[in-house]
Amino acid sequence: MSNPWIAIGALGVVAVAIPLSMMAISSLLRPRVPEQGKTTTYESGEVPTGTPRIRFNIQYYMVALLFVIFDLETVLIFPWTVIYRDAVSTAGLTTVLVPMLVFIGVLVVGLAWAWRNGAVRWVRTPRRELTTKRES
Amino acid sequence: MTDPVSAALGLGGYQPLVPALLLGVTALLVLLVDTIWPNEQSNTLLATVTIAGSLASLLVAGAQLFLSPEAATLFDGQLIVDGMSLFFTVIFTSVTALVALASHDYIAERPNQGEYYALVVLAATGMTLLASANSLVTAFVSLELASLPSYALVAYLKDNRGSAEGSLKYLLIGGLSSAVFLYGISLVYAVTGTLKLTEIATVLDAGIDGSLTGVLGIGIVMILGGVAFKTASVPFHFWAPEAYEGAPAPIAGFLSSASKAAGFVLAFRVFLTAFPTSAVAGVDWVLAFEVLALITMTLGTFAAATQEEVKRMLAYSSIAHAGYALIALGALTGAADRLLVGAGMLHLLVYGFMNTGAFLFIALAEQWGIGRRFEDFNGLAKEAPVACTAMSLFLVSLAGLPFGGGFVSKYFLLLGTVLSSSYLLAAALIVNSALSVYIYARVIKAMWIEDPVPGRTIEEYPTGLYAAVVVAAVVTVLLLPGLALFTDPAQLASNALF
Repeated sequence: MSNPWIAIGALGVVAVAIPLSMMAISSLLRPRVPEQGKTTTYESGEVPTGTPRIRFNIQYYMVALLFVIFDLETVLIFPWTVIYRDAVSTAGLTTVLVPMLVFIGVLVVGLAWAWRNGAVRWVRTPRRELTTKRES
Repeated sequence: MTDPVSAALGLGGYQPLVPALLLGVTALLVLLVDTIWPNEQSNTLLATVTIAGSLASLLVAGAQLFLSPEAATLFDGQLIVDGMSLFFTVIFTSVTALVALASHDYIAERPNQGEYYALVVLAATGMTLLASANSLVTAFVSLELASLPSYALVAYLKDNRGSAEGSLKYLLIGGLSSAVFLYGISLVYAVTGTLKLTEIATVLDAGIDGSLTGVLGIGIVMILGGVAFKTASVPFHFWAPEAYEGAPAPIAGFLSSASKAAGFVLAFRVFLTAFPTSAVAGVDWVLAFEVLALITMTLGTFAAATQEEVKRMLAYSSIAHAGYALIALGALTGAADRLLVGAGMLHLLVYGFMNTGAFLFIALAEQWGIGRRFEDFNGLAKEAPVACTAMSLFLVSLAGLPFGGGFVSKYFLLLGTVLSSSYLLAAALIVNSALSVYIYARVIKAMWIEDPVPGRTIEEYPTGLYAAVVVAAVVTVLLLPGLALFTDPAQLASNALF
């Protein structure tokens, strides 16, 4: 009868019961004072303006995506540079160099394409353009 | 293994990978063209590069299939190029070429053409690699390479609500099932201590600790879940109707033919190589596939019968056909295993042409703007007899009537179920095929018998789309005598895998 799964099951029951009972008991004990200020989204004195359904600028995302690709490239290049000299002396120049050149070449094709198609062009938001025009 | 040409190119031992490499290079070429002329509509050039690349890959794979059927392993056994991977490469590349040819007209007026063709070829590259994957990790990486472009391609019409919705559902269910698949891989690794398919089979053959059978079983079921997503089989099929309906019609054809075949090559490879029934006596995955096949084909057929839109009907019929192909794994009892697997492969080959052709006809109808419902196709044969003849051929072949290759592959499947005494599957195959005749006949009746919709005029007959539809129809018809006379499914499968 000493099945270890019984203990794990008991642990699971307790883990679910504790937060549920805490919420239930506190809802029974706490005083209720409804007030308008408590229903606002941020209860920190900040009055929300406008709707949350706005469009965010996606450009950070594009740059971040390109960064991730080249971040991974570095991860692969670093160990390769460390063993490069030894590997060349044992396996020959082409076997060591060509695959890495192909790998970087593939990424360069992708980067060139993204660059030409405007992935890294920093477009300003219309509001920002308006203020800069006023300044100049 | 090395011939003078590949030796001169410095390919050496990588020669078996040439079909996949050609597809990868084609994708880069498409991106290069788009890099050089980013703001111009170089649709024709992009389509030409795509078609040329996939046809070259098709030729090389076909030649390798006929000339050197013996298997070659690469990268320390991570990849294997054998009869099965080449056979499926032939399916993927022919569908890619057809889809690219049709897309030339379909996306002529739309932006982002470079991305479109590049994603199609990248997905095809992933599927080709998936067909050659010989370890669970390679399988997962190439599965993702095939899936990620597909999500983006479904959302290609990004101002269209249906397209965006279909893509989001596809992405969410795809992400979920990828996670399930990966967890299954980790459990199998925990039990066997290896990721290579052949080594997993060796470890399981030698026998594992009895207390680990449960973990192994959960792992196998989870891997089965990943396969079910890719093949749009029942527990993970919810994305399919929405994604196929919302996607551009050539992409719907690409996904429902090539992508589905990719799921099946993964299933064949993983389950037959890594988990042979003799080695995993404690885990009866054949029964699981049998249940899946029964539910998938029945649900697909009955749901197709209630649809009001032709494209959605085809989407559900594609689920039903996944059920038919699942028979190849669900009826394995040892009596006719090779025949069944060979029949499943042949069914996917025929399906690659007839189903892609049917969706390309829908693309043609979308170009004409004639609407989606059955009534909208009324009397279309008077205005477009060639296209409607081709569509009728696809439909009777899908139903399994002897006018196209679909008859032969269904016959082989039926023969396999009878020989292995899986009478339930045989009955389900016959009943569902009979019901599907009625479903497909609705479209044929609308096109040929009903009176034409008044006031409809078809102004243009796009060459590329027509060519793709006609080529698919010709191949579908030629496959009937081709498969019946020249193929022995058992021989095909034993060359491929056993």
